[in-house]
Amino acid sequence: MTKFLQLLSSGVALGAIYALVCLGFVIIYKATGVINFAQGAFVVVGAFLVFNFTQTWGLPFYPSILLAMAVMAVIGVVVERLILRRMVGQPVFAVILVTFGLLIVMEHGANAIWGYTLLPVGDPWGLRTVALGDVMVRVIDLWRVTLGAVVLGAFFLFFRYSRMGVAMRATAFDAEAAIAQGISARRVFALSWAIAGVVAVVAGVLLAGGGRGVDVSLGFIALRALPAMILGGLDSPGGSVVGGLIIGVTEVMTAGYINPAYGDIVGQNFHVVMPYIVMILIMMVRPYGLFGTKEVVRI
Amino acid sequence: MHQLTRSLPGRLLAAMFALALLAAACGNGDDGDDTTQATPSPDATPGEPEPVPGFDGTTIRVGVVTPLSGPAAIIGLPLTAGNRVWFEHVNAQGGIAGRYRIEMVEADNQYIADETITQYNRIKSDVVMFAQILGTPPTQAVLPLLRQDNIVASPASLDADWVREQNLLPIGGPYQIQMINGADYYLRTEGSTDSVICAMIQDDPYGAAGLEGLEFAAGELGFEITTVARYTAGDQDFTGQLSQLRDNNCEAVFLVAIPSDSVRIWGAAATLGYAPRWLGQSPTWLTAFAGGDLAPYLEENLWIIAEGAEWGDESVPGMAEMIEHQEQYAPDQEPDIYFVFGYAQARAVTAVLERAVELGDLSREGIIAAMNDLDRLEFEGLSGDYPWGPPEERDPPRESSIFGVNADRPAGLEGLEINFASDAARAFEFD
Amino acid sequence: MALRLRNTRLTLRYEDDLRLFRSYHMRVAMAALVIGFALFPIVFNNDFWLSVLTFAGIYAIGAIGLNLLSGYTGQVSLGHAFFLGVGAYTAVWAGRNEVPFLAWLLLAAVVGGLLGAAIGPFALRLRGVYLVIITLGLVFVGLHLFRNWTSLTGGGAGTAVLAGVSIGPLDFNRLELLGSTFTRNQGWFWLVWALVAVAALLAKNMARTRPGRAMQAVRDRDVAASVIGVSLVRYKVAAFAVSSMYAAAAGGLLGTFRQFVAPQQWDLLLSIEFIAIIILGGLGTIFGAILGAVFIRGVGNLVEQFSHHLPFVAGTAAGDGVITVFALNQIIYGLLIILFLVFEPLGLAALWLRLKAYFKAWPFSY
Repeated sequence: MTKFLQLLSSGVALGAIYALVCLGFVIIYKATGVINFAQGAFVVVGAFLVFNFTQTWGLPFYPSILLAMAVMAVIGVVVERLILRRMVGQPVFAVILVTFGLLIVMEHGANAIWGYTLLPVGDPWGLRTVALGDVMVRVIDLWRVTLGAVVLGAFFLFFRYSRMGVAMRATAFDAEAAIAQGISARRVFALSWAIAGVVAVVAGVLLAGGGRGVDVSLGFIALRALPAMILGGLDSPGGSVVGGLIIGVTEVMTAGYINPAYGDIVGQNFHVVMPYIVMILIMMVRPYGLFGTKEVVRI
Repeated sequence: MHQLTRSLPGRLLAAMFALALLAAACGNGDDGDDTTQATPSPDATPGEPEPVPGFDGTTIRVGVVTPLSGPAAIIGLPLTAGNRVWFEHVNAQGGIAGRYRIEMVEADNQYIADETITQYNRIKSDVVMFAQILGTPPTQAVLPLLRQDNIVASPASLDADWVREQNLLPIGGPYQIQMINGADYYLRTEGSTDSVICAMIQDDPYGAAGLEGLEFAAGELGFEITTVARYTAGDQDFTGQLSQLRDNNCEAVFLVAIPSDSVRIWGAAATLGYAPRWLGQSPTWLTAFAGGDLAPYLEENLWIIAEGAEWGDESVPGMAEMIEHQEQYAPDQEPDIYFVFGYAQARAVTAVLERAVELGDLSREGIIAAMNDLDRLEFEGLSGDYPWGPPEERDPPRESSIFGVNADRPAGLEGLEINFASDAARAFEFD
Repeated sequence: MALRLRNTRLTLRYEDDLRLFRSYHMRVAMAALVIGFALFPIVFNNDFWLSVLTFAGIYAIGAIGLNLLSGYTGQVSLGHAFFLGVGAYTAVWAGRNEVPFLAWLLLAAVVGGLLGAAIGPFALRLRGVYLVIITLGLVFVGLHLFRNWTSLTGGGAGTAVLAGVSIGPLDFNRLELLGSTFTRNQGWFWLVWALVAVAALLAKNMARTRPGRAMQAVRDRDVAASVIGVSLVRYKVAAFAVSSMYAAAAGGLLGTFRQFVAPQQWDLLLSIEFIAIIILGGLGTIFGAILGAVFIRGVGNLVEQFSHHLPFVAGTAAGDGVITVFALNQIIYGLLIILFLVFEPLGLAALWLRLKAYFKAWPFSY
């Protein structure tokens, strides 16, 4: 039972990280209909910025995060303004490929600035743990879950009650109608990229913290997070959290129980494919994910 | 006139002409000189090597194909810096055989096999040999081409497959040897044949090589490998694998991983309160780990199995010399075990080239002949000496060194036992 | 001028629109291409550019297949790498059993086609981005298979590919023709680009006839297409099968040209590279797939040739400069993709058509 709970706590924490990465994907998809391949690079650059502020400039940790968020929001807006805005109305896959080009530029740009070695982000959590019964829970894991919940809550309140949030929902639903109502689609697009940048800082710090450090391979998590996003439904923030948790727990449980016992039958490292199998099965039953909006098919 | 510009064939011909110009411009390379047509320097005396591709009579060029951008550059950059520092030292002494400057032609393969083939083809006619090809997959990718073109390359990879290859110049004790010596050291110090000994490996050729060594050691030294936990590069969480190791009460865990994974594996183990004796293969280590949050845990629980001496240990002649050269030619270089490897590798390349000049032939065939003519590759303690000769006579060094973690030392590593070879390692045969 | 009207490229009859080569000029252009193809490896016997172009040709074959699926039928797939892997391992098997070249190439295509048809049904259930990500799952399941089917694939360590490439007396690894012996890179250039031509003609033929029109109807409005009698089951499954046949054939060639394959090669990045090729080249054009492959495989190497000369760049990994040339090459490559798509989102083919239209109406173009 201890083992189960231990795996569960790790799985939930991993799921929270996936969810945070997914929220960045979802906000841009919801507003613009584009999967932003550069989200992984946003996470990397966000974490590098925190390194830069805490270690190179010697600022305290939490103000550094806020500063990094501000810088990433600006980067998000600039990227939207300079590049993505020119792609409005173009075929969606051309836009996706543009974000892929952006991924290449940002990753190698980050390398050129900060180098290739692992750098600390200066987080206060380190390797500290809390004992809950027999289960050792990492402090950073508690933060992962807490901040995941906070960001999701903020999303919910923002979309539900703020003027801009409602405008974003309206634009996502029908851009032309929204514009006709006096909503500035440009501001909505710019804002969604800014938010994606801010969320990426949170995900980046929580990934690089806890003794790991930041380097470009931090961005690889974006690919691992894709099934979570699909599972939850591309345009549903709540869905990406549920999807993240399902995928995170599935992955850790498979590594803990199935790999050692059945590794010779199902193949080594089955935990890598298990999330995709779960995803494919769920998608066969619910083609728009668990919480995604069903598209109306017209002739 | 309209007719010509308007007709499709006309435009196509024009386009093809432009393309041809472009290809011709590129084909000549950016160095502007085609080394195959270079004339011998006027003061060339009989008996000196003829100019050949990569050698214009005064300068010898060697190729380096390695990740210089992307995540793997963390290894490629210091390794290449090691190559360069040694060659700069050689040039300061007048060059190869005191006469010919040596120059590196660097190419970035981003650790991608296809890109390695392309880059190899790009620079192969500008170099006499390849001083470095980093990593097992890139080396595998170019090996058929090396055989076909009769070119020699030195792989920066400790895979045992390279030992008998006519076209390769490997250095250092293979991963198998590291594992065997590590097991031997553990049994002589903390452990016994009754200890629960386990492994955690990356599921690829690198992990398989390490596991092969450990299995051989188990048979030779009489212990059992209780559990082998596996993971793949890029895994985000290791709780499953670690709880598997803990459930089986593993007291010693041999880890085969790369730094971006090993740091998270140890981090997760530390927070789970799981503290076996970790024995990590040399590529698990980065100097940065000694200064991070993990340092206390690693000082307590980790040994690194590598080669050669502690960084800055002046009692080892090769190391003393290396530090001197590094301070002169690359004063900003941080202590780094990959730098040491690159430096030692360049020494081996120089030995081959010196012999080739002695024999008066820097052609591809000449270099293979010169390489087969060497009796021994010597590293003055930076790496185990390598009894050399034609492929069937080559006998990889069986020495390894065990390091403990100590943040006060330059590379974060403190030598516990340096350059020893266990009987079990000596018994390991390469075929 | 007026008298020449009959010979201009105005389309007068409906049949003209359906022809493979629409005009006399096109046939002349084709002849010029054939001559260029035959002479290129002899005139530019440079292993670097020949190998770059051979890789580009192999990628073009796979990209033509993906374009039939994505560009013509509208089913975007990230699973292409899996089918390339299937083809490569068919070649591995063929090499061990000494199956002749054309036989194994066909076999690879058939195996790929059958597996592709098995994916078809998923496409009936899912659309758009959801389909994209499901096919991404295929890549990971494939990697798992390739890693664990050790007897065939050599597991993580990889395996040599020794499949032959001889047609009758012609061995393209060491081509002897008219008394001369040609290098492996020369032989492969001819072999691969001849196969590109075959692949393009087959695809073009499919696209301009009944199945092609049905596929485009499915792309534009699949429900409407099914209402007017296009079988969605049939065409979606067939599109997946055909595209996978192309991918597997390309994969077999890729593995054989490289002579060594390892599982990690058939990863998501390879699939993305193919998507990049067809988007940059132009969705829904055969020609675009070929242009895109040459662009993606070639442009990075072109950048490399020139970036050394920029002022603030360090030419070696240790040199003085704001940025090393190696990091810069990657950044320029990414920027080129972005800039190109910002200015021409419809790809190289659209650029070409626009140029052609400009010259067609010259001097009255506007």
